Amino acid sequence: MDITEYIKLVFSDYTLRTITLGTAILGAVTGMLGSFAVLRKQSLLGDAISHAALPGIALAFLITGAKDSNTLLLGALVSGLIGTFWIRGIITKTHLKSDTALGLILSLFFGFGMLLLTFIQKQPNANQAGLDKYLFGQAATLVVSDVWLMAIVTGICLMVLLLFWKEFKILLFDADYTKTLGFNTKFIDVLITTFIVLAIVLGLQTVGVVLMSALLLAPAAAARQWTNSLSTMILLAAVFGAFSGVFGTAISASQNNLSTGPIIVLVAAVFVVFSFVFSPSRGLLFKQIRFIKNRRDLELNKTLAFMYHIAETHENISHPHAIKILNNFQGYTRGSLQKLVKKNYVKLDGNMWSLTEEGFKTACNLYNQQTDE
Amino acid sequence: MNSAQIEIQLIASLVAIACAIPGTFLVLRKMAMISDAISHSILPGIVIGFFITQDLNSPLLILLAALTGIVTVILVEYIQKTGLVKEDTAIGLVFPALFSIGVIMIAKNANDVHLDVDAVLLGELAFAPFDRLLISGVDVGPKSLWIIGSILIVTVALLITFFKELKVSTFDAGLAASLGFSPAIIHYGLMSVSSITTVGAFDAVGAILVVALMIAPAATAYLLTTDLKKMLALAITFGVFGAISGYWFAHWLDASIAGSITSMLGLLFLIVYLFAPRKGIVAVLYREKQQRTEVSLLTFLLHLKNHSEEEERHVNHLNEHINWQKVRSKTVLELALKNNMILIKNNIVSLTEKGDDFTSQAIDYIITNEDAEIEHMKDDFFLFRG
Repeated sequence: MDITEYIKLVFSDYTLRTITLGTAILGAVTGMLGSFAVLRKQSLLGDAISHAALPGIALAFLITGAKDSNTLLLGALVSGLIGTFWIRGIITKTHLKSDTALGLILSLFFGFGMLLLTFIQKQPNANQAGLDKYLFGQAATLVVSDVWLMAIVTGICLMVLLLFWKEFKILLFDADYTKTLGFNTKFIDVLITTFIVLAIVLGLQTVGVVLMSALLLAPAAAARQWTNSLSTMILLAAVFGAFSGVFGTAISASQNNLSTGPIIVLVAAVFVVFSFVFSPSRGLLFKQIRFIKNRRDLELNKTLAFMYHIAETHENISHPHAIKILNNFQGYTRGSLQKLVKKNYVKLDGNMWSLTEEGFKTACNLYNQQTDE
Repeated sequence: MNSAQIEIQLIASLVAIACAIPGTFLVLRKMAMISDAISHSILPGIVIGFFITQDLNSPLLILLAALTGIVTVILVEYIQKTGLVKEDTAIGLVFPALFSIGVIMIAKNANDVHLDVDAVLLGELAFAPFDRLLISGVDVGPKSLWIIGSILIVTVALLITFFKELKVSTFDAGLAASLGFSPAIIHYGLMSVSSITTVGAFDAVGAILVVALMIAPAATAYLLTTDLKKMLALAITFGVFGAISGYWFAHWLDASIAGSITSMLGLLFLIVYLFAPRKGIVAVLYREKQQRTEVSLLTFLLHLKNHSEEEERHVNHLNEHINWQKVRSKTVLELALKNNMILIKNNIVSLTEKGDDFTSQAIDYIITNEDAEIEHMKDDFFLFRG
């Protein structure tokens, strides 16, 4: 299937259109909220919540006996929130650290959920099939009403974000200061946590429990590399998330036997790797280039300073010296000498070098700067 | 109890012990989430091993999977060292990516091989006794029993040999380095053991139960003791208790054994979390309330000492001037009376000699602010606590 054909299909085919739209919205909202999770150093909270939602789904099914996806999501939301606040309780009230609390709640809730699921499977109720799609996610089960739900939640989330923008922002970067200003930090905190839980719960059906946390983190971590401004980061994260959803769906639709969730996660991971390497200010590539450039400059200056010390002992600064003398000093290379010549600091004459007036002055200043500091 | 039941309980208990030992150190080193990451990211290792050998029980699978686990740890550390993201984000990025690769590899080849994500992730302890190890035709027991048994023996041997090193490097990495044993070797040793244990155990019980068995017993034990040896012993006890009680719970419910072992561990943690003698929620809340009352009492006594005039020492004044509600004033007054620190005559409160003495010392403490003397003082003076 080539690209134009695929694009045509997206607009004409109901299922494909629904899934593409659903994953795009999901990616956008998780990217948006994930930024907060990453900046608040709660990156793994997503992982814990997505696991903690499972018993809620199972219990909601056990109580209502119906597989209505909204009821199940409500159950997931409730148990996700219970898990989150229990994690917080463990961290604040005991000496157990946050990673222990996260791992504990994650595994205990998920295990309890598994117990309930196997218990449900033994029940004489034909309805239970398909509950396990919440474990691994199945984008193909998305229907238009799910997409509408996602869109509405995203809209509400966006509105709340704009309404409390100032509070969110200040809470992120200086929680204590926020408190002294008289903001109700607890309320803002609960609000943002609730939205994160909500976004995760929405994604469970599409990408599943295990991969949901990646969708929350990856776009935000990628976006963080490109900017230092919160609003730009959130915007970028939403875009990365949406694109991960769209590309992931496209790739998985173009081939057989490719589940959508893992592909979306891998596409998001590609965004992350690309950002880690190529971001201009923080990226590994440019950092390495800057590092090499700085090292070269340093070597150049070292060579120049060494020459200056030799030249200093002579009355005529341009007194020629054998290039061999520089051999005692390891910082010099042919290249660095050539560069110095180019800058008109040094004159090369066969195997003899001599400092120029300009080179002497520069080296002198270099030396002064060094001693000044 | 038939022999299969005994075997299942034996396997579950051995897995619990094998997990509790590295788990204790992971919890103490604040690396609990690494076990979750490893348990997911070993999937591609297993799948590759399975493609090569076409046998789910081949030792190559365990080797490759354990290697993938260590690769995960190295990747997380590499990403963290670049300084681009924090450690937890690094963990959260690495393992879902590796897990996704594993899932895709399974999905792409699912037509011709028998390997299921569910089976790998969730495991089924109930089937363990059916997979026997035959040595020259003689049945010597279930395979998982041998696998987990040997892992446990190695773990215990390593624990005994390197106990001192582990202990020092866990609590003071700098001291460990200066004493001459490299924290890096200990770190990677521990990671390798965790990785191998995870692989060996999750073949039998599934990924999530491995995480639960590593973290939950250790965390529960940590709420009860701060002594490393006691913590290890308690964690092992809790793990085995969870394994055996969980098995019978599952038997009664006719549900997943792994799930019900986890649930039992959860229940155990909840009970300890609420009722642990010193660190449980009830104890903490009680202590906080006690301290609040005692601080109020101290404030009140200081107030009395500062004011000789009668109207400042009237009982009603407590409610009006200091703004305490009736209940609180009553508790504070009662506590002070019980401890012989005040006298009340005609609703006028005055300090006794003992109360005066205590308050003077408290003022000294507040001025000099030396250590936690105030707790000793409370012990000396108080017959009854708040």
